Amino acid sequence: MNIWELIIQQPLTNVLIVISHAFGGNFGVSIVILTILVNLALLPLTLSQIRSSKKMMELQPKLAELQKKFAKDRQKLAQEQMKLYKESGVKPAGCALTMIIQMPVWFALYQSIMLALAAVPEGLLNLSRFLYPWDVVFSSIPMSPYFLGMDLATPNIVLAILVGVAMWVQQKMSTMPTDDPRTSSQNSMMLWMMPLLFTFMSLSFPSGLALYWVVNSIFRIVLQYRVTGWGTLLRRTPKDTGATKKYLKFESPEEKKMTIVDKDGQIVITDKESLKKSQKKGFFDKFKLGGGNKDDQEQDQDQDK
Amino acid sequence: MKLKHLKIVGLISLLIAAILTLAIFGFSCVSGLSAVGWSGGTVSNGVLYVGSMEGRLAAINLTDQSILRAEPLKVAAQGGLFSCASALSCGGGTSRVPIYGTPVVSDNIVYVAGYSGKIYAYNTINLASRWIFPRDGYLSPIVGGLVIDQNKLYIGCADGFVYCLDATTGDLLSSYQTGDKIWGTPIVADDTVYIGSFDKSLYALNAGDLTLKWKYKTESSIIAQPLVKDGIVYIGSFDKNLYALNAADKTLLWTFTGGNWFWTQPVIVNDMLYAGCLDGFIYVLNPNTGATIKIFDNEEISAISAFASQPTSVDNYVIFASEVGIVYRIDTSTQEIKQLAVLTGSITGPLMVYDGIIYFQTQDIAIQRIDVETGALLPSISLISG
Repeated sequence: MNIWELIIQQPLTNVLIVISHAFGGNFGVSIVILTILVNLALLPLTLSQIRSSKKMMELQPKLAELQKKFAKDRQKLAQEQMKLYKESGVKPAGCALTMIIQMPVWFALYQSIMLALAAVPEGLLNLSRFLYPWDVVFSSIPMSPYFLGMDLATPNIVLAILVGVAMWVQQKMSTMPTDDPRTSSQNSMMLWMMPLLFTFMSLSFPSGLALYWVVNSIFRIVLQYRVTGWGTLLRRTPKDTGATKKYLKFESPEEKKMTIVDKDGQIVITDKESLKKSQKKGFFDKFKLGGGNKDDQEQDQDQDK
Repeated sequence: MKLKHLKIVGLISLLIAAILTLAIFGFSCVSGLSAVGWSGGTVSNGVLYVGSMEGRLAAINLTDQSILRAEPLKVAAQGGLFSCASALSCGGGTSRVPIYGTPVVSDNIVYVAGYSGKIYAYNTINLASRWIFPRDGYLSPIVGGLVIDQNKLYIGCADGFVYCLDATTGDLLSSYQTGDKIWGTPIVADDTVYIGSFDKSLYALNAGDLTLKWKYKTESSIIAQPLVKDGIVYIGSFDKNLYALNAADKTLLWTFTGGNWFWTQPVIVNDMLYAGCLDGFIYVLNPNTGATIKIFDNEEISAISAFASQPTSVDNYVIFASEVGIVYRIDTSTQEIKQLAVLTGSITGPLMVYDGIIYFQTQDIAIQRIDVETGALLPSISLISG
């Protein structure tokens, strides 16, 4: 047994079995409880990650503005971006770092569930290596894979669909709105790719794993809602940023121009006040994209004046 | 500089994350998620019959080592993209049916059961199909082996049933439902079928009509095949105990507690019971009292590893194989253990001895051969077709 198995996988597996024993041998309940417990243990990291993402989301207009301003000077752009991050207390590497810290725990949980399920004879034989010499553990094995009428040792279409839906919602809530077409298409791809991938995987693996993914996603949805609300799930996002459409353009926050120009199909908003106002109303709700309603634009101009 | 540094850190982080993802998913796929099979061999008229890990019955003429292969066993249903939860191999995308039970030969017919839930009968001469049960559809996975007694075939299934079939025609004669899955092999003695179930009970059924004689409940599930000798039934359980019961009335005679599961059937030679345990020890007990005669522990066994492979006996020897691939020979007259051979792969399938040679199948889909006396590793016989 290697170190990973000894200090991570073995304890998690035995805890899973003991929880299952405490709930009448119900493995499904055991998966749900352990997933929630592990999520709670990782709560500070997860919250920090969500908050960082939220801050990043809030910085998007300013970042877009910087990108426009320093489009030709990459070095200056990077410096300004770093400055903005620093002033706002955002650590871009923090998100990735948090994910990396969490990842081994998720893998261990995933492995423990698959191990304890012991769906095939080889799995059961392998499980014997991981058991603590406790009577409660030995008397609980093999665990009953049935949960709410489902066999958690075999793929289940209902759970697979739930995995996809829950992941899509979670992904949608945490996606940053952007008017950059490249980022937008990347977001869109991620929004559909991950849920679809995990749905297909759920159709191939024992559904105990799908149950874990569903519970995990629901937990993240609840957290995300508490921190950021529904995010882009209920907000309108830019639909079209084609060349013939009108663009939003921001000047640098330092510059205090108070004029709004509607020139060649481009609206330029230049002061922080109007920016704040627009954010209060819902960033993308305020500005009509794609050649929006002329009256609305005029109304906005009047307000800004 | 700072930005560059951060970018590098970010890239490295993402790279590590990607590698971890691939590694863990890849690792998980090969560590017991997939059903592969571990069928042992049986010899009849100089021909070794084995359920190959390719998912078909193979007949090896031990004189010239020529191999005859039956048609591959039928696949029940594709389990998904990676087939990890199905009867199929993981990630390989192949459609082979794992075979766990050792084939049985009786009256020129060889029988084998597949994990996909079908039982097959073939002519021993040409491996032509005689019958398949069920003819349509599939049972639940079959992990245990089958036994033939008085032209009746007995087998346990993961649907919890014990089935009794006519060995000649494959017709269902009777069945008995236990409380949970059956992954064990039955044994027939004195017109009684003994079989363990996941419902923690050992069942004694009348061989004629599979009606219940008695059942004995242990503290955990039973997979091991029972051993019946001199009116005593010996059975290992997942509660770490080895039980000795009176075959007539299930009276408990004694129990012995090991350090892990008793996965396989014990062996009795020279009035001594030898039981391999998943704790990596071999226990030698008095079969009548359960008293410990000797324990082969880490002082005598070089590398402690689970004994998951069914042991066998020949003359005064008992042969064990540990999961890490070490084959041991115990001299029952002197209680000396000798490390016969060390293989690179793991050994989980049952051992069989014929004409002074130990045979067993390994994960590389080959039959390994070891000389009982010298421990010489003879050239293996590959079962890979094509």
